[in-house]
Amino acid sequence: MTINIENEKQQDTTEIESSRRNFIFGSVAAAGLSVAPGVMLYQTANARSLSEKASSKVRWGMLVDTSKQVDWNKCVEACNKEHGLNNETHSRDDQKTQYIRVVDVTNKGTGYSMSLPVMCQHCEQAPCVDVCPTGASMTRPDGIVLVDRHRCIGCRYCMMACPYKARSFVHEVLSDQTENTPRGKGCVESCNMCVNRVDNGQDPACVEASDGAIVFGDLNDPNSAISTLLKEHGGKQIRADLKLNPGVHYQGI
Amino acid sequence: MRLQLNIDFSFNSFFNKKSLQKLPLAVAGLALIASFNTVNASQSDLGPSITIQETSGEKCVLPSEEMRRQHPDLLKHDRIKTLREGVRAKADGGVLDGSLKQCVNCHAVKDDNNKYVRIDNDQHFCVSCHQYAAVSIDCFQCHRDIPEGSGDFHALSNHKEVNYNAVVPGTYSLTVQDMANIAPEVHSDDN
Repeated sequence: MTINIENEKQQDTTEIESSRRNFIFGSVAAAGLSVAPGVMLYQTANARSLSEKASSKVRWGMLVDTSKQVDWNKCVEACNKEHGLNNETHSRDDQKTQYIRVVDVTNKGTGYSMSLPVMCQHCEQAPCVDVCPTGASMTRPDGIVLVDRHRCIGCRYCMMACPYKARSFVHEVLSDQTENTPRGKGCVESCNMCVNRVDNGQDPACVEASDGAIVFGDLNDPNSAISTLLKEHGGKQIRADLKLNPGVHYQGI
Repeated sequence: MRLQLNIDFSFNSFFNKKSLQKLPLAVAGLALIASFNTVNASQSDLGPSITIQETSGEKCVLPSEEMRRQHPDLLKHDRIKTLREGVRAKADGGVLDGSLKQCVNCHAVKDDNNKYVRIDNDQHFCVSCHQYAAVSIDCFQCHRDIPEGSGDFHALSNHKEVNYNAVVPGTYSLTVQDMANIAPEVHSDDN
C-alpha cells in the first residue's frame, strides 16, 4: 500500500519536472529526459551564470526527512571531508568545529527516540547577523548564511545568539585547509551550505551523502522538488516559535 | 664676522699639509669600494630574489608590472565579489580564476624533493617577496598555501572529485598522529 502511494508521488513529481523542463529548455528537453531528475533539477534551479550576483529570486533550503533510516554520521563524514574539518590537534572535543551535529532526542513519556542532523538553519531573520559588530556574519541574497572571515574578529557574539548552537570557534592555528574552505584561528565558522558547490551547480556534500534523505533546492520555486515535497507533506522548522524562518525544514520530527 | 672666521678656519684645517698627504689614499679607497659595488650590484640584486615556478604558459590576469603593484587591491576586490556577492566568474573571461586559490595553483614552488614548499619557507612565492618588503601576509592563516590534490599529502587534502554517495562513516577521521605527519611544526603560541 505504502509502495503504491510512493510510486504515485514519484510520478507526480516527474510530471511536474518534465513540464518545467519543457518550459525552460523547449526542444532540448527531449534529450534531457534520459538524464536523472536530480541532475536536471539543480541546473534549472541554478539558472544564474557564474558572473552574476547571487539574487533573492532564489532561496536555498534543505528538507531533512528524519523518518528515513539513514546513518546521519555519513553526512557528518562527508561534511568533514568537504570542508577539511576535524583537523584540530590541541582542542578539546567540545571545542572542535562541527558543522553538523547529530542530535538524539527521546520522548520521556513514550520512550520514542530518534536522531536528526542539526546544522546552521540558514534563518531569514538570522540572530547571528543581527548581533555581529563587524558585518562578518552575513546573509547572502539567496538565503545562505555565511561568516566573512576577512571581517570576523572572533568575538563569538553570534555563537551566543544562535538558538541552534550551530557555530564553532577555531581555537588553534590550523594548516592544510581545503582550498574551497579557508579556516583559521580566531574565527567563528558554521555550515555554509557548501556555497562553493552550490554556486557551481552541485548539491551540498551532506545532501549527496544522505541517500536522498536530505533534499536541497530552491524554496522560492514552487515547482522545485523541495517545494513540491513541502507542499504535499508539510515540514517543520526547529524552534519555529522564534519566527526566524529557517531555510532548513524537517519531516518526521 | 664670527661666521666668516669659522669658515676660514675650517677651510684651512681641511687643506693643511697632513690632510693633503692622505688625499690620494682616500681617493684610492673610495675607488676600490666603488669598484666592488659595481661588480656585485648587478641588476638582479637590486630587488628581492623571487622564486618563480615555470608556468604552463598561461598569462596572469594582468601583466607582471601591474600585478606587482595591484595584486592586493585585486585580491581584496575579488574576495568581496566572491564571498559577499557570490560572483564566481573567471577573472580574464575564461581561463583563470581570479582567486587566491588560482594564484597558489599557478605560482606554487617545489623544493628539491619535488614537494611544494609551505608558507613558512622562504622559497614560497609570496614569502620570497614579502619578506624582502617586510610586509606580513595574513592570507594563509586561513587560506591553503599549496595546491590541493598534489599527492604529497594526507587523503584529507586530496578530496577533489570525491563522490560523497560512497562515503563510509568512520573512514574519515584524523588522528593526532595523522596531523603530526601533515604538519610537523604547528606554530601554536597558545590555546
